[in-house]
Amino acid sequence: MPILSLFLWLPIAGAILLAFIPKTATGAIKGFGLFVSLATFIVSLGILRGWEDGVAGFQFVESLDWIPQWGIRYALGVDGISLWLVLLTTFLTPIIFLSAWNSIHKHPKEYVIAFLVMETAMIGAFLATDLLLFYIFFELMLLPMYLVIGVWGGANRIYAAIKFFLFTIAGSLLMLLGIIYLVFQNYHQGGAPTFEITQLYGTQLTAGAQLLLFFAFTLAFAIKVPLFPLHTWLPDAHVEAPTGGSIILAGVMLKMGTYGFLRFVLPFFPEASARWSKLLITLAVIGIVYGALVAWVQPDMKKLVAYSSVSHLGFCVLGIFAMTQTAIEGSILQMVNHGLSTGALFLLVGVVYERRHTRLLADYGGIGRTMPVYTVFFVIAVLSSVGLPGLNGFVGEFLILAGTFQTHPVAAVIAASGVILAAIYLLWLVQRVFFGPITNEENRHIPDMAWNEVAAMIPLVVFMVWIGVHPNTFLKKMEPSVKHLMTAVKGGNGDSGLRVARNNAVILSRADGEGPPASGAVGSFQQEVLRRATPAQDDKRAGGAR
Amino acid sequence: MNLHPLLGEGYLLAILPELILCGGGMLLILFDAFAPRAKGALGPLALIVFLAAAWSENVFRDAAYFFGGTYEISPITKLFDLTFLLAGMLAILFARDYLDREDIEGGEFYALLAWGTVGMMMMAKGLDLLLIILGLEILSICIFVLVGYHRQLSIANEASLKYFLMGAFATGFILYGAALFYGATQSTNIAAMGRWFATNEATPLLTVAFVLMMSGFGFKLALAPFHPWAPDVYQGAPTPVAGWLSVAPKAATLIALVRLFNAMEPMLPRVNWMNMVAALAILSMIVGNAVAIVQRDLKRMLAYSGIAHVGYMTIAMLTVRDDSVAAISVYAITYAFMNIGAFGVVSLLMKNQNDPQTLDDIAGLGFRRKFYGFALALCMFSLSGLPPTAGFISKFYIFKTAIESGHTTVALIGILTSIVSVYYYLRVVYYLYMKEPAEGYAVTPVGGVFAAGALMIAMAGILAIGIYPTPLFNAAGYAARVLLQQ
Repeated sequence: MPILSLFLWLPIAGAILLAFIPKTATGAIKGFGLFVSLATFIVSLGILRGWEDGVAGFQFVESLDWIPQWGIRYALGVDGISLWLVLLTTFLTPIIFLSAWNSIHKHPKEYVIAFLVMETAMIGAFLATDLLLFYIFFELMLLPMYLVIGVWGGANRIYAAIKFFLFTIAGSLLMLLGIIYLVFQNYHQGGAPTFEITQLYGTQLTAGAQLLLFFAFTLAFAIKVPLFPLHTWLPDAHVEAPTGGSIILAGVMLKMGTYGFLRFVLPFFPEASARWSKLLITLAVIGIVYGALVAWVQPDMKKLVAYSSVSHLGFCVLGIFAMTQTAIEGSILQMVNHGLSTGALFLLVGVVYERRHTRLLADYGGIGRTMPVYTVFFVIAVLSSVGLPGLNGFVGEFLILAGTFQTHPVAAVIAASGVILAAIYLLWLVQRVFFGPITNEENRHIPDMAWNEVAAMIPLVVFMVWIGVHPNTFLKKMEPSVKHLMTAVKGGNGDSGLRVARNNAVILSRADGEGPPASGAVGSFQQEVLRRATPAQDDKRAGGAR
Repeated sequence: MNLHPLLGEGYLLAILPELILCGGGMLLILFDAFAPRAKGALGPLALIVFLAAAWSENVFRDAAYFFGGTYEISPITKLFDLTFLLAGMLAILFARDYLDREDIEGGEFYALLAWGTVGMMMMAKGLDLLLIILGLEILSICIFVLVGYHRQLSIANEASLKYFLMGAFATGFILYGAALFYGATQSTNIAAMGRWFATNEATPLLTVAFVLMMSGFGFKLALAPFHPWAPDVYQGAPTPVAGWLSVAPKAATLIALVRLFNAMEPMLPRVNWMNMVAALAILSMIVGNAVAIVQRDLKRMLAYSGIAHVGYMTIAMLTVRDDSVAAISVYAITYAFMNIGAFGVVSLLMKNQNDPQTLDDIAGLGFRRKFYGFALALCMFSLSGLPPTAGFISKFYIFKTAIESGHTTVALIGILTSIVSVYYYLRVVYYLYMKEPAEGYAVTPVGGVFAAGALMIAMAGILAIGIYPTPLFNAAGYAARVLLQQ
């Protein structure tokens, strides 16, 4: 059974059915949305059941002719890099519907439809193994998000929605030009036109072309992440978006950028990536520190969390361009972590905003006494975001920093200050909002969390603890794919590597049959040489992760 | 029965669509004259005429030449004929409700649409410059009348006069260019010209001829800098006519130019004519998209966006190959769906037609009248080239062929200007869904079953081509290959 197609199209099928439910039946609309998204999540768990550990390549592959004239296929697949991101998407959508149960009064039907369409688009972008199919899903998610911000957003929503859209589309249209050019080059070398990612991996490019394409792709993904200094759309979008929109934006949509780096930029342009990794690492580190410092002085809770996103996503980019096995695994894990903890924080900020219609820190104080349940959840989410050992954030950041230290020690040291800063601004946030005397009389009678909000938070907390305590459940499944990616990227400095990457299938069978290729067997001297010639790699699992 | 050896075997069957449209047009006028009270039946009758013409496209199956090698029937002409007929039918469907509401229903309206379509068919099929110009003139005369069809409106009269004066000039340029070409190549037959181009050297006279001809055709295409008529004419014309005018005549002109450029192919490496065409394309994309940003009048905005879209299509003409011709055909069909659809929704806005239809008129429409709002939004997404709509696929095709032909810079400019265009298309969506109408000011779109049907067709076309374009690509690719084999 084509399980990927099944849960990919389920949300949009639900959205189409939903169009026939009369708009006055709000209960039925919300219930149906929740039901569809839960069904999608349950079906998507099927990948874990059929998952084969130790396989580096795509699993559950589906491939059909779509536009044969151009070699475009409807090709889906999931590997260790995309697995957890796909599941994160299907996991977060029902949580959004639950948390928004009582807070969406304006056009609830269109709200649910927009989120269901968005879910299909996001799942599709993670699953697509055809470049054009990926691009279509990548763009498709913009429209519903534009509407979500623009229709259900705050006071300044139009500005934010248009800014969000124009920033993203500017990057992605340039990437489209890059895609066409890349495919055209590959067509000249390979004979048959194809957009399939695995076929394109070995495309030979001149240094100049590789550089231009690298920047075309990097710009698109850097805007999406967003990387300093392209981040300016993010705080606006987050502040104006409704709670559900913020959760999806931070939880999943930003990961399209980091995922794009891993799936496309590194393997397509290994040489350019190696040469320009310093630039991206520098920007990532600036983003980490800058985001943290700006978050520190924010008077608005949501803006604070938004800037903390800039800082945390900086870690993900740092891990990717450090190009060591540990750092990349940490980076993927951190993408999931960020989805959980920042998603939770946005959800919780939405809870008090719903009750008090203000997000200013100054309007709160001492609500720990009036909202005990809320306080517990908030503190857990904050600690997870800060990186308290035992919760998820710690594992991701530790792996990234440990992995980065081997290739770029200075960057790792500076980035580590971001962890400290995060503790400062987040704990300060907790102190100002929850502790101390109640300064504002209106805060004396805020009702605590409702059933739907608690139900939305519990699964998030469960996974925060799970990843924190036993990250191997997650790391184990991504390891072979990351190792395979590393092989492809490492080869980038010599032309032999490109040839290896072209015979993708060979590597795949080796990786899943005879265990780790090359890296483990290389002697220390060779390893040293390798480390000098290329950004070093390292496949010792960091002990502290457990 | 063969009247003359030059006519060719079965010529009556071959021009059956033209005959049906000519005869049908006359019947419509007569019907209106003899049954003035049954005006409501005119629209459906016109539709039947167009459907019959579309059906008759299938009667003659092979590719062949008629009338002494001046008239070609081939897959590409059928594809373009169907595009013209599709545009005509969509225009009729929207016009039915529009004319009824404005109380200006008349048989001649539909007849002029049918005859204009005949003119376009001649442009698409003509293998002789004179025949192309003849078709263009038939078309232009119909357009002059159609633009001014709403006689009581001063704005319509202005538009008609403007188009007439400038159009006459443009035709003059084309004729003069054709005369110079004839002087140089001793023929107006495109095939004969092609043979001459292959064996002779370029002369300055030819360049003058080319410039004159491109100016004239540039006017008909509304390519910048020959575009300033477009916004005024679209604004004054009855809105369904404006939609039709922005699509069908452009498609006809493009296919005629494709033939001409194809014949010039051997000459092109030795002259820099295509740089000129590239400059027109670039200028159109920049001017169209930049000026559209400041338009609040929907029809003027669509006019400027149309200028930009012709710019995109012109990119594909810079190198005539089978892929680029296919890209143009696909774009023309897509453009028919999305642009006539967009004009169609605007045509439903009930207000004094002398006043501009502005963005404020559609404020909140997306939630007030969901169907019309969604249709307009979909057309806008398609016009801005966002997946999964037809606009994305066809724009992608254009840029793909451009890069493959080595026109990367032009494609880059096209992409950059498309980014700009997203802004004003999205602004329409913003007004549709995110803006509340001003207090006590609500323009309601009034449309019956015909307009709704037309919008359904437009949306189905946009989504079908956007999601599964393979059959259309097959047809267009085959047609283009047959065209260029000769």
